[in-house]
Amino acid sequence: MEENAYLTSIFASVFYLVASVRLLRLNRRTGERPELLLGIYFGFSGAYYLVFNLPSLFGFDSWPPATEWMIEWIYVLGVFPYLFFIRSVFRPKAAWAGALVGICSVLLLVGTALGTLNGGDVYSLDNLWFHVQWTGYTAPCAWLGLEAMLSRRGARKRTRLGLCEPIVANRYLLLALFGGFQFLACLADLLLAADADGGQAVSMISDALLGGSEIASVAVLWLAFFPPRFYSDWITRRAVILPTPMDG
Amino acid sequence: MADALFDIAAERLEESSDMDRLAARGTLRLALKAAGLDANRLTIPQLRTVFEKIMPKELEARGVADAAASCKTAMGAIERAASENELAASNSPDEIFKRLGGS
Repeated sequence: MEENAYLTSIFASVFYLVASVRLLRLNRRTGERPELLLGIYFGFSGAYYLVFNLPSLFGFDSWPPATEWMIEWIYVLGVFPYLFFIRSVFRPKAAWAGALVGICSVLLLVGTALGTLNGGDVYSLDNLWFHVQWTGYTAPCAWLGLEAMLSRRGARKRTRLGLCEPIVANRYLLLALFGGFQFLACLADLLLAADADGGQAVSMISDALLGGSEIASVAVLWLAFFPPRFYSDWITRRAVILPTPMDG
Repeated sequence: MADALFDIAAERLEESSDMDRLAARGTLRLALKAAGLDANRLTIPQLRTVFEKIMPKELEARGVADAAASCKTAMGAIERAASENELAASNSPDEIFKRLGGS
């Protein structure tokens, strides 16, 4: 079970790197910030999962805690652009959103910096700095899920009026699901931390949760960023667009 | 800029429908909500759709005589007043999500 979880993480990391390249190339073409921010996030996420899982891939001992904390920085650096992406897309003018970005950033910096300085296991419920860092990277996942779901409600109304393409409205749902699955992956981190002593039952649950949420994340991102023709056609066929009352 | 577009639209609706300021702004907000639109990120094409597909019924429900004509008059006035002010929509969430999927 554990090997499967690592394999899915490595598979996810490769997909995130591919998605990152695609978004950064899009940014070079458009010059717009959202694709740049999301591209950087996926780049760092992919690199993190890959480096974190190298010991399992090549069959050597786990990273020592000090190295693990350094690896954590790779992921943490990617969460900042992720936070700015969510804010700039969904709440560009809301003061509370700026405050939330600030709070999450401080939690990430403080948790990771003091965790690195103090040492100890990264994933351990006894480590205060793990909790601080965990809150900093879990909140953005939940935030993206909620914002994308709220936006999807409006997008469905706009679709009926012909103001939003059905595939775009569906993309809000896919990103909401991605946020939700990443939130589940964060919960798996908590289980992993609770399992610092190596209890087999908890380990199986956390590995299944992590592996399942990563596979599901990749699936929804594939549909969002690389939608196959059959999927786009299916979503478009299902959409209902109202006739114009004034046309008649 | 889009806030200004909302204000312009509410003023023109007030003039063309004989509603008072509060009623015009409230009616416009309700119509935008029904359309799933954000008053802070409005564009002219979105307003045009709202005034064609939703506003006539809203005005009829409020007893405005010849609601369809009022909507056409209001929309024409909005387009004339706001043509210089229209916000480029390249960073609306819909445009961003459209680009992300390469469509």
